[in-house]
Amino acid sequence: MVSMYLSSMLFLLSGSLSCLVLSLLCLKSGQAWFIEWELLSLNSSSIVMTLILDWMSFMFLGFVMFISSMVLYYSGEYMHGDSNMNRFMYLVLAFVMSMGFLIISPNLISILLGWDGLGLVSYALVIYYQNEKSANAGMLTALSNRVGDVAILLAISLFFSCGGWNFLFYVENMPIIGSGGLLCGLVVLAAMTKSAQIPFSAWLPAAMAAPTPVSALVHSSTLVTAGVYLLIRFSPALEGRLSQTVLLLLSSLTMFMAGLGANFEYDLKKIIALSTLSQLGVMMSILSLGYADLAFFHLLAHALFKALLFMCAGAVIHSVKDYQDIRMMGGLVYHMPLTGMCMNLANLALCGTPFLAGFYSKDMILEVAFMSPINLVSFLLYALATGLTVCYTMRLVYYSLSGDFNLGNLYSISDEGKIMTNPMMGLSVGAVFGGATLAWLIFPCPYMICMSPVFKMLALIVSVIGGVLGYLLNLNAVNYNLNSLKYYNSVVFSGSMWFMPFLSTYGASKNFLGSGETYQSVGDMGWSEYYGGQGIYSFIMSSSKILQVFQDNSMKIYMLSFLLWVIVLVFVVV
Amino acid sequence: MLKFMLACIMLMPLVNSWWAVQSSLFILTFILMLYCHHDFSNYMAGWCFNIDSLGYILILLSFWITALVVCSSQKVLKENNYPSLFLLVNIFLLFFLIMTFSANDYLLFYISFESSLIPTLILILGWGYQPERLQAGVYMLFYTLFASLPLLVSLISLYNMSGSLTLGLVENVSGAGFISCIWYVVTVFAFIVKLPMFLVHLWLPKAHVEAPVAGSMILAGVLLKLGGYGLIRVLPLFGEANKNLSWLWVSISLVGGVVVSLMCLRQVDMKALIAYSSVAHMGLVLSGLVVFGWWGVNGAVVVMIGHGLCSSGLFCLANMVYERIGSRSLLISKGLMNFMPSMALWWFLLSAGNMAAPPTLNLLGEISLIISVVSWSKVSMLSISLLSFFSAAYTLYMFSLSQHGKYYSALFSCCSGKVREYLILMLHWLPLNVLILKGSTVMFIL
Repeated sequence: MVSMYLSSMLFLLSGSLSCLVLSLLCLKSGQAWFIEWELLSLNSSSIVMTLILDWMSFMFLGFVMFISSMVLYYSGEYMHGDSNMNRFMYLVLAFVMSMGFLIISPNLISILLGWDGLGLVSYALVIYYQNEKSANAGMLTALSNRVGDVAILLAISLFFSCGGWNFLFYVENMPIIGSGGLLCGLVVLAAMTKSAQIPFSAWLPAAMAAPTPVSALVHSSTLVTAGVYLLIRFSPALEGRLSQTVLLLLSSLTMFMAGLGANFEYDLKKIIALSTLSQLGVMMSILSLGYADLAFFHLLAHALFKALLFMCAGAVIHSVKDYQDIRMMGGLVYHMPLTGMCMNLANLALCGTPFLAGFYSKDMILEVAFMSPINLVSFLLYALATGLTVCYTMRLVYYSLSGDFNLGNLYSISDEGKIMTNPMMGLSVGAVFGGATLAWLIFPCPYMICMSPVFKMLALIVSVIGGVLGYLLNLNAVNYNLNSLKYYNSVVFSGSMWFMPFLSTYGASKNFLGSGETYQSVGDMGWSEYYGGQGIYSFIMSSSKILQVFQDNSMKIYMLSFLLWVIVLVFVVV
Repeated sequence: MLKFMLACIMLMPLVNSWWAVQSSLFILTFILMLYCHHDFSNYMAGWCFNIDSLGYILILLSFWITALVVCSSQKVLKENNYPSLFLLVNIFLLFFLIMTFSANDYLLFYISFESSLIPTLILILGWGYQPERLQAGVYMLFYTLFASLPLLVSLISLYNMSGSLTLGLVENVSGAGFISCIWYVVTVFAFIVKLPMFLVHLWLPKAHVEAPVAGSMILAGVLLKLGGYGLIRVLPLFGEANKNLSWLWVSISLVGGVVVSLMCLRQVDMKALIAYSSVAHMGLVLSGLVVFGWWGVNGAVVVMIGHGLCSSGLFCLANMVYERIGSRSLLISKGLMNFMPSMALWWFLLSAGNMAAPPTLNLLGEISLIISVVSWSKVSMLSISLLSFFSAAYTLYMFSLSQHGKYYSALFSCCSGKVREYLILMLHWLPLNVLILKGSTVMFIL
């Protein structure tokens, strides 16, 4: 019997190849196919399942399938020995399927199939390990994503006035709807929850409770890019709206916040998660400046090297006895050179090192952003976030790869697991060549960049400064003072993602759970009973007790009541 | 329609053989499926009965749920807990339900609507398992009776006014004066309690908690839908009065839905949680109906069908847990994935249905309902969003607490599920997710 990881790898890889070929065909011929299945038609509005097959969806599908085939193959060793391995595989496949549905559905109703599917399956994946931490992380993930689902549901109800939900036809002339602004706001809100922008960022690092292959696929390259992808399709409608401005500010803040937070984090996976968050901020911000094609470009390039980075992290975690704390690592480059090389490659690609995948997209995004008329705040956030990216990357390199050896005295670190290293090699090819290839394919004629030398060099300057700072600040020895204790408050603030995890768990649930308790005791067990079952019961019981007194055959009471009624009658008649 | 009623009556002598009744119910369901044609608005017309697409789909639901009820109540047979009487009560209930959904006379509808209470009460009192079932039965009986006796008066006044109680021949009560409004409230209140709306819902969690699995399934699956069905039938008579008063029902049910959802988050009793979630869903149905839009009424029908299948399936699951663990408490029956790994998938799928995830009928219905209510007033977006958000919250709370994490250490082992049980769940889940491919089959088409 062929193992599931092998068969899914082959299946997805062939799917990926055919999608990429079809994408090239579409790109060349400019063709696109629409397929519709009518679910129901009511008062001449049709609810349809729409599939769009153009170069963009084919290419994204191809990338998703390629990465997931590598990830599934990789899981063959990473999850080896897990008693629920098949459940894991099926869940990941279900996830890929949902992602596929999301990619090919430009209809606000049928996109829900993929959109909700992603939310639910990723929930099932986050809570895969049965412990409290995963359960809480899963709940945070699912409910943050649910906010986006609700926003889409409401957007559907507003879209009703168009008479159809194929938003691709309506985005060009959205002002025809009275509440177009609200509609765009809701769609942006939905995208922000999926792509974990402020204030919904807390779930992304929390979702690292999932097994590492899941993080490589779900929380770096696919699920979180769903929001970006929706907005890429929706972007013509956002032109000049308030929601676009808000999105620009929030996404730049996310980019900065995540970059800053990653510099204080010690959990290997969380550092990478925060770096994902920061890159999502980059995509969202360039999208809100109106360059949807650049966002798509960065989305694909980022998917390649981020999946690689997570795979390397998984290999490291697997070797160092499942510790995730980077202080327990160090000097890994001597023990696992191949993984170290891949990790370094992914890191460099992330920083935008020339001619690696990240360079083509990220550098272009930065230059285009610097060239467009953005305000000072966004500009500063862009520049700072770029520096911070290199800063935490160098810190990570120091702690895990090049620094001192910090492991316990019993260890067995090696690169021998072929099932883990082979897919890493596959993705490494992507991380090296992906950017250039994509740039040639998507932008046959290059963007026109025109700026002064200072601006041109700015990205390089902040990167070098960030890199040097990141490496030097973290060099430490036993006799050094811990300087971060002096600035304890600000360190805690920056290191805890600006308290967002606290606010979006305890802060959000406290009041709702409390009021649930209150309503339960005051409402259903209080007033509703008082004016409902129990109240009527006790009223009838007490009244019948009084009536019973009348039935006691006491002559005096009969006479008394007779007299009373006579008096009443006299008053009434007279 | 008479052929199906007669078939029901003919099932009654067979109650000594569980298997005969079981298979006949399934066969009847499949025969009824053959009558799924919507070329005419009314068909299978006979003396006092006919069905339209709405009646048809609800009768089909009743048959389906009753067959599944018999299937999932095998414990009654195994423990020899009066199995023939149990079947008899169920068949009676089914008979009354068919009558209710196919009656084309308001009085006949009223009578059969009320008669369905009796077998339900007998189910709760006879096969429930705790002394509190007496109180629950009384709650159910009196909440619904209290509201429905005025309905009788209203129907008789309608007869007095228009000289007929045949559906479609009754004159509309025109105007929105005081009398019309009182008349309207009296007429719809019976159905609103049956749905139930928030504030008059107290009977529902009690009845569900105390009822045996058969009672819970049929109650959540079909009996609640009697309220929605009745509203669809009587609301057109009171167009103007409804226009003046619909804000009341929409506000109570939407805000109430949010409150009920919050209460769901504090339940530790599985069945109570599912029952409360029904109240929240039915609140949306009610607002869709009184808004009086075409999307609203169709959404309401779709949610009624979807919710009937989904919550009945969830009650089934709760009962499977109860049969093994002996408790409905989420604090005891937790971490069940370790005992019943394959069952956890069904928990997940049906929970996804309960939170209106695609591709379930619930989603289709909820979208239509949201469309109609938001088109009525944008302010309702606020409570609809909370309602929808918390429906996911409490469903996930139920799923994760019951399936994930550590199991209760007093538990040692249990059967991880039988083919019969998987079959029941499959038969709940399949129509819920497949019917959406041709949404018009579950719609109310005139």
